[in-house]
Amino acid sequence: MPPTVQELLALYPPGFTVHEPGRVVTDTTEFHNITSGDVIAAGGQHYLVIRDEAERRFGIEDPKFWVKRCICLENRESKILKLVFHESFPMQIGDMEVACYRSPDKESRILDLVQGDWRFMQGFTVRDEAGNNVRVLEMIRGRRLDLVVDAIEADHRSYVREHLPGLLEQYLGSCEAIGLLHAHGEKHGDIRRDHIWHEYGTGRYRWIDFDYTFDYVENPFGLDLFGLGNILLFLVGKGIRSAQNLSPEESALLDPGDYSLMYGYRVMNVRKLYPYLPRALNDVLMHYAVSSEVYYETVDELLDDLRPCLDLLPKC
Amino acid sequence: MDFKKILVAVDKSENADRAVAYVGEIIRDAEGFCIELLAVNRPPQRDLFPDQAAWEAQAQEQTRQLEAALEKAKDILLSFGTNLKCISIRIMDSTDPSIARPILEAQREGEFGTVVVGRRGVPKSEEFLFGSVSKRLVTEARGFTVWVVE
Repeated sequence: MPPTVQELLALYPPGFTVHEPGRVVTDTTEFHNITSGDVIAAGGQHYLVIRDEAERRFGIEDPKFWVKRCICLENRESKILKLVFHESFPMQIGDMEVACYRSPDKESRILDLVQGDWRFMQGFTVRDEAGNNVRVLEMIRGRRLDLVVDAIEADHRSYVREHLPGLLEQYLGSCEAIGLLHAHGEKHGDIRRDHIWHEYGTGRYRWIDFDYTFDYVENPFGLDLFGLGNILLFLVGKGIRSAQNLSPEESALLDPGDYSLMYGYRVMNVRKLYPYLPRALNDVLMHYAVSSEVYYETVDELLDDLRPCLDLLPKC
Repeated sequence: MDFKKILVAVDKSENADRAVAYVGEIIRDAEGFCIELLAVNRPPQRDLFPDQAAWEAQAQEQTRQLEAALEKAKDILLSFGTNLKCISIRIMDSTDPSIARPILEAQREGEFGTVVVGRRGVPKSEEFLFGSVSKRLVTEARGFTVWVVE
């Protein structure tokens, strides 16, 4: 007879009161039914479910019922458990609709690949009794990169002088990390500025969420490179400058070719707005502009252009 | 390199049909040509499928579709009067993420002087995100001719 939640809690007291002990779950297929107070038993450990995780984007809370915030009863460590949820959905990129897929096994492969590499979130995979993939992820205590940048109180010129060199140096490391995935035939699949976390204490920048994938024609890494360019634009501009928030004087400086190839309202030629930016850095961004005829196909190509920019930034 | 040795890349798209028809229109029943119709069979990504059975079913379906596409391409050439003896068909299984690279490999192996490929004619943005077979072929072609048919 397997132990009940009450018996497990008595054996491994979590250090707080569990008001509604639930059931011990050994088959996570029906993840919707796994709620706070349940204990997921997998891989020889017991994970007390605290709540479902949620992603907050554009001010909207999006619950992720297949992602559970847990405490491992055996060692009291906080963990994120990601359960199997296969879905495909259209992702809108500018005018394009890209079919995206969620693949637990892809994420597991990457977790294995990046074990001990602190540029990535860490975790491992176990199977429940039904053979379902259960990813056990370490919590990253920190803040999303976009929030880190948003919180910097400085005008753009000061930001470029005082903060961008450090951020860019860290970001080069993040790009190199994606290059490592590509070298192993893997893609991140969902490169966004809220998928890099700045870890408190260590100061590390770490990629999270590797379970997205998508089909492609010839270049499996194009979407990742597009994401890297988006983040770079955000870092350089201290936010995205779009047609809607330009002054008439700024608008007058821009040509149609200065905007993003994907998002027609985003300004890529930011040097026209901020002339103190190094030309070489702006040239990197212009590879993502409407006027570009040459695109980055590899992270190495991007890095070869981006690395020298670090020395060109104005110093404090 | 013998330009009369022609490698035509075929898939299940209308662009490929157009490329084949273009070759048929030009060659018709002319003597001395050798045309290989090549389909690169890259298995679908396993990650796009929830289980092995669904993936295997799709892989089989894809192979069947490519076989049908090759037969159709052969019929297109025959409809222009091209001699059956000049035509060969081949499915090349590949695990390379690129489609262009196996085509280039087949070109080298068979010493084809001409490679023909259809062009999807997608917007720049789509080409950026997902790449372009014809663009890579043109970029990497050395010592032979590439026809890109739109």
